[in-house]
Amino acid sequence: MAHTETPAQIARRLEKSRRWFDLIPPEGVPIRFEVAGLAGRFGAQLLDILITVVVMMAIIIVLAFLPFDIAPVVNSLAAILMLMIRAPYYILTELFWNGQTIGKRATGLRVLGADGRGLTTHAVVARNLMKEVEIFMPGTLLLVSGGLGLFWNLVLLLWIVVVLIVPLASKKRQRLGDLIANTYVMVRPKSVLLPDLSTSVSPNVFDFTPAQLEHYGRFELQTLESLLRTEAKTRGSDARRRDSLIQVAAQIRRKIGYEEPVPDSRVAEFLHAFYTAQRAFLEQKRIFGDVRDDKHHRDMDTG
Amino acid sequence: MSEVQPIRSTRFRAEREADWRALEVLIKRVESRGSHRLSFDESRALAELYRKAATSLSVARDISLDKNLLIYLESLVARAFLSVYAPQDSLSGVVGRFFGGSASAAVRRSGGVILMAFLALFLGSWVAASLFAQDPAWFYTFVPGELAGERGPGASTETLRAGLFSTEANLIGQLGVFAASLFSHNTRVALFSFALGVFACVPSLLLTIYNGLILGAFWGLYADRGLALELFGWLSIHGVTELSALALAAAGGFRLGLALLFPGSMTRKDSLRMASKDAVKLALIASLMLLVAGLLEGFARQLVTDTTLRILIGWGIGVLWLAWFLLARRRTG
Repeated sequence: MAHTETPAQIARRLEKSRRWFDLIPPEGVPIRFEVAGLAGRFGAQLLDILITVVVMMAIIIVLAFLPFDIAPVVNSLAAILMLMIRAPYYILTELFWNGQTIGKRATGLRVLGADGRGLTTHAVVARNLMKEVEIFMPGTLLLVSGGLGLFWNLVLLLWIVVVLIVPLASKKRQRLGDLIANTYVMVRPKSVLLPDLSTSVSPNVFDFTPAQLEHYGRFELQTLESLLRTEAKTRGSDARRRDSLIQVAAQIRRKIGYEEPVPDSRVAEFLHAFYTAQRAFLEQKRIFGDVRDDKHHRDMDTG
Repeated sequence: MSEVQPIRSTRFRAEREADWRALEVLIKRVESRGSHRLSFDESRALAELYRKAATSLSVARDISLDKNLLIYLESLVARAFLSVYAPQDSLSGVVGRFFGGSASAAVRRSGGVILMAFLALFLGSWVAASLFAQDPAWFYTFVPGELAGERGPGASTETLRAGLFSTEANLIGQLGVFAASLFSHNTRVALFSFALGVFACVPSLLLTIYNGLILGAFWGLYADRGLALELFGWLSIHGVTELSALALAAAGGFRLGLALLFPGSMTRKDSLRMASKDAVKLALIASLMLLVAGLLEGFARQLVTDTTLRILIGWGIGVLWLAWFLLARRRTG
């Protein structure tokens, strides 16, 4: 028998698949950051490599116009320029833009000191020197791997495998350089404050008894919040949204035993009122130590 | 009908929202233009508002179930933290500190391992030179073919002498020698002996000894032909710097390896992190020295063919390095 996930299970699974870490700053209030995904980091790296290569090519082209014949040394010249542009580029951008290279800016990532005291110069230098050993040396060797013997190709393979396994096995996606420098790469937070839903209620239209508010927990409340907040975002699918609001309202009324009929035109109002009452109820319970994470009265930690 | 009292978390938000908005404005300015553009009062306001927002977050986690508010506060405090604790260094400050004392202090702290690296280098050369004295065929065992080129026991003394005093007259040729030397054998050895130090020092030690072996084999060959002094001059002009760079890189690797082998009371991870502070500086110094050695090899060695002058320049620069390591101390107090 095929097991189908309920929407709630899907929502929980998605939330669990994101990786977080709590940073403890000197002020003592833990701050949550989301760990950057592999795709984002790969994209940032690619963009940075592209930028440095373009700069290197530009310099080579300028040099080509000088009255020298650079053709015989163009390969080693390119290699030197690459090294001399690349290492300072990463170190200086991360140092002066607070953990962001241009690639990281574009993909919305940034580097963060894990000890909660900001990035140090040492951390930035260490993680980027290790990047030479971890990424660029095997990368360069890979380009010439045809000319190496079997033994060195095996060494190269082992090297690449180790370098790849470390971040994949690390919970916080730290590569070797991050481990030594004690840094994390995380998603740059964005903050949008939307209006409080509980203030947009016309008072005393719908009343709920405490018994009616016993049914739901935090998870259901916040799911309802997300549903109510979608209204501000999309106007096009208005009819569909109205339908789902009506369905949800009917489901809630059935569950809590709300007898009074609610006309379709006032469904949004009913849901707002229920949201406010439910939130006030749950927050009150919470202050007295009764934490209800969902309708099964799970605690935060279990489940 | 009387106004209903808004719920507790709504009141909480209403009381503090103005502060959050003010903080957001300040953060946006820091994020786009950097914290040094803020005035004194604004910086102070930033720190104060950050602490207020952190308190709000801590309270909101306990009393509010408004998901959007919680996410907003989390990200606001995160951004504020990043703005407040942004690195404050300037480029001149970073470079000045490195050359003015922090690099030389790392060298002084690593005296023991640097000695170890030099000893390994010397041991290798001594072994190879004495083996070569018994049987010149050892040369081929130690020196890889592409490094030896036409230099070898089979070459005539005249070829060997010409190799020591060959010059590249034009600038591009010198640049080519410079470039080639930078990506030469020694740079690779330096990089590997640093990076592989993590594996309990063994690869670094072997590499350093091996490099000594190559050196010793050449020494034996040239000494055999009565070109010892000429080779010494040829090596000195860039080798004093280059071999020291090699030893420093290996020493950096040793620091990492020793930190892993003997972590003391720390965890191995912490011990490695502590050691990396000096090791990274050693690696930076080594790469700087390799760059200088490349310049000396590419230009100075081509221009100066007098053996005495070569020795003087090479060891003179060596003394300068030593002076930097011993004398550059950060002023305290």
